Amino acid sequence: MTERAANDTEYESLTGEELISRLREAEETLEAIRTGAVDAVVIAGSQGQQVYTLENADRPYRVLVEQMQEGAITLSERGTILYCNERFATLVASPHDSIIGQPLTRYVSVDEGRVLSNMIATGAGPGVSGEFGIVNCLGHEVPVNISLIDLKVDEAMPRLVCGIVTDLTSSRMRTRELSAANERLANEIVERRKTEENLQLTLDAAEMGIWELDLSDNRMRCSLRHDRIFGNATSPVPFDLAALADRFVPEDQHKVREAFETARASGAVEFEHRIRRASDNAVRWVNVKGRTFYDGKRPVRITGVTADITQRREVDEQLRQAQKMEAVGQLTGGIAHDFNNLLMIIGGSLDMLGRRMSGDERVVRLFEAARQAVARGSKLNQQLLAFSRRQNLQIEVVQINDLIPTFEHLLDRAVGETVKTKFVSGTDLWECRTDPHQLETAIVNLAINARDAMPQGGELVIKTANRRVDEAFASRWEASAGEYAMISVGDTGVGMSAEVLAHVFEPFFTTKDVGKGTGLGLSQVYGFAKQSGGFVAVTSAPGRGTVIEVFLRRSTDSVPIVRKPAEATLETGTGVVLVVEDDADVRATTSGMLQDLGYSVLSAATGSAALEIIQANAGLDLVFSDVVMPDGMSGVELARRIGLVRPALPVLLTSGYTAQRAIPELPTGERALLKKPFSHSDLSIAIRKIMASVSAT
Amino acid sequence: MMDSNGAADDTAEFNLRLYVAGQTPKSLAAIANLQKICEENLAGRYKIEVIDLVVSPQLAAGDQIVAIPTLVRRLPPPLKRMIGDLSNSEKVIVGLDLRPIGKSRT
Ligand SMILES: Nc1ncnc2c1ncn2[C@@H]1O[C@H](COP(=O)(O)OP(=O)(O)O)[C@@H](O)[C@H]1O
Ligand SMILES: [Mg+2]
Repeated sequence: MTERAANDTEYESLTGEELISRLREAEETLEAIRTGAVDAVVIAGSQGQQVYTLENADRPYRVLVEQMQEGAITLSERGTILYCNERFATLVASPHDSIIGQPLTRYVSVDEGRVLSNMIATGAGPGVSGEFGIVNCLGHEVPVNISLIDLKVDEAMPRLVCGIVTDLTSSRMRTRELSAANERLANEIVERRKTEENLQLTLDAAEMGIWELDLSDNRMRCSLRHDRIFGNATSPVPFDLAALADRFVPEDQHKVREAFETARASGAVEFEHRIRRASDNAVRWVNVKGRTFYDGKRPVRITGVTADITQRREVDEQLRQAQKMEAVGQLTGGIAHDFNNLLMIIGGSLDMLGRRMSGDERVVRLFEAARQAVARGSKLNQQLLAFSRRQNLQIEVVQINDLIPTFEHLLDRAVGETVKTKFVSGTDLWECRTDPHQLETAIVNLAINARDAMPQGGELVIKTANRRVDEAFASRWEASAGEYAMISVGDTGVGMSAEVLAHVFEPFFTTKDVGKGTGLGLSQVYGFAKQSGGFVAVTSAPGRGTVIEVFLRRSTDSVPIVRKPAEATLETGTGVVLVVEDDADVRATTSGMLQDLGYSVLSAATGSAALEIIQANAGLDLVFSDVVMPDGMSGVELARRIGLVRPALPVLLTSGYTAQRAIPELPTGERALLKKPFSHSDLSIAIRKIMASVSAT
Repeated sequence: MMDSNGAADDTAEFNLRLYVAGQTPKSLAAIANLQKICEENLAGRYKIEVIDLVVSPQLAAGDQIVAIPTLVRRLPPPLKRMIGDLSNSEKVIVGLDLRPIGKSRT
């Protein structure tokens, strides 16, 4: 270097004094280099000036520091910036050169500046750091972390401090984003939990169990409620599809498996089948409904709910049954009505024939057979009418216990010797409103069924008791809750299967051979009980006997009405009777019967025709009219009109049909109604009674 | 550039230029020492320019710098220079004639 300076021609133009000064400088330079007072030199080369430092070896570190994403600074002991890298310059948004020599505190707020100065002054030692806000030259605040460390070079040198300034903007942003995301997530979780809780609540309220079927291994996860529906033990048992299918009744199992198999492709499953509940072995109906979830095209799981719908099915079934019974009732009612008219004609004609018959024994036998057939037909018809609840019930307030002797007498003959009959009458039995004749018929029907169920003999128990019926029990039998007097007929016979039980009340339903069963026995019991405001309950199982309970509504009327025994004589009489009847055959038969009894008879086919005759015949003593007539004016209406024009003229109505309300009353307070079909004797008595009461007043 | 602790460019009595080479220890020491000396002796009357020859090596030619750090007194004339880290402040004051106001020249 000295050579270079000496050879430099420009020195030739210098004065001596200048030369000396230069020489001294050169010497000083040399001395400085020698003593280590400098640590870099400048060398002019072909590429211009180049700086060589003693630590050229540090170059890689220098590059690192220059390139790194943290700001790097070197500070004097008093906080002046002696060095900064590019990144720091960018942070404070100033040109690199204008930063050197500035106090670092210039770039932070006054308050923070004090903290920062303190940090520098008290000595960084092995390292301190703190967060500050750098206010850059554009006025923006940049959050940074400044960490400082003392740089000890050698004893002689002043203390230097090195610092790393880390921009926290993006990390702060990320933290903020993260915490925002966290918060969102937390909210979502809370929302979801709420939804789930609500769902759980809803499902619980609906008594629905939840399940999830993993299609990879067919394992199932089920809720507590689900386990309860299946009657599982309280501790959850591991469950899979196969185990689930096995819980269903054998005939439904393959349908269940099939439904789940189909659901993989179809996306949904729904069925109603029967399970056998583990806890009590009861057969229950369940509804299973689910949805398939896919991973792309691959079905991965089916999730759904299960509900025990036995009760709904039962209610549905009851409703269907009730509707069927109603429809059948309508139908049989119609048929029975027509039948009644036919029996009337046959019976009436036979009665008249009988009075004119010769003593030929063979003819008498045939005649008797015909009469008995009519009687039987009429009895069956009564049962049909009873079932369709269109019978005229003679409702009375009855103490059933009082009827037991009558029952004993009847049943002795009905059940035969192999069957032991026992009566258990309840104490203080409530009175009830019913037709005692029909009740007798019902008990006989039940006893005959019991006998048929015990071909090898057994025990028949007739019991009476007071019963308070609750809503649940009543609804099973299409009845209403309340207080009832109950009479039951129990046997130790073969019992009934569920299939038979489902149909027992239907008319013509019988399991007995042709000629042995009519299928009308229980129909009568059912219809009669309903019509008198009660109901019938059946308890039976195959091999376990049968108990049929007839519930009759408790009556609070105080005095029982005593029945009068019917006489079977022909009461002849005199007078003029007008017969009003739309059916020509019945009209002719009835007229014939009345004539036989000694009455003069006029007849009319309609109510209006009858009114004309009444106007024209002042000598008329009685009008005998059918209630149901197709031309518009009913017997009841006719009676009302007669009451307007000839109040003194008595009217006797006849009907085989529904219980009529507006039946005119006789002066004695009885209703003037003759039940169809009526025998010659029934007719004679009814007419005589009216004639007698009229003449009495 | 560094122009701290002193008066505005044109009015500064002492115009000092320090040539450094990045952050070699001597460079850093020189900056720190100079600052301290000026503040103590020339408060309000000086201007320091720090020239990093690592960043702009061509600036070395102007003042014929060969060793770093070198301090050049540009104002007041005559041009004076001092080589080294300026750790001997007495020597600096004498060498550059950084006579504080009111103090007589030694
Ligand atoms: N006590 C009973 N035990 C077993 N089965 C009975 C009993 N009562 C009724 N049943 C069944 O109900 C059916 C209908 O009875 P019912 O209406 O009286 O008609 P029928 O006795 O003419 O068959 C009977 O055929 C029988 O299968
Ligand atoms: Mg029967």
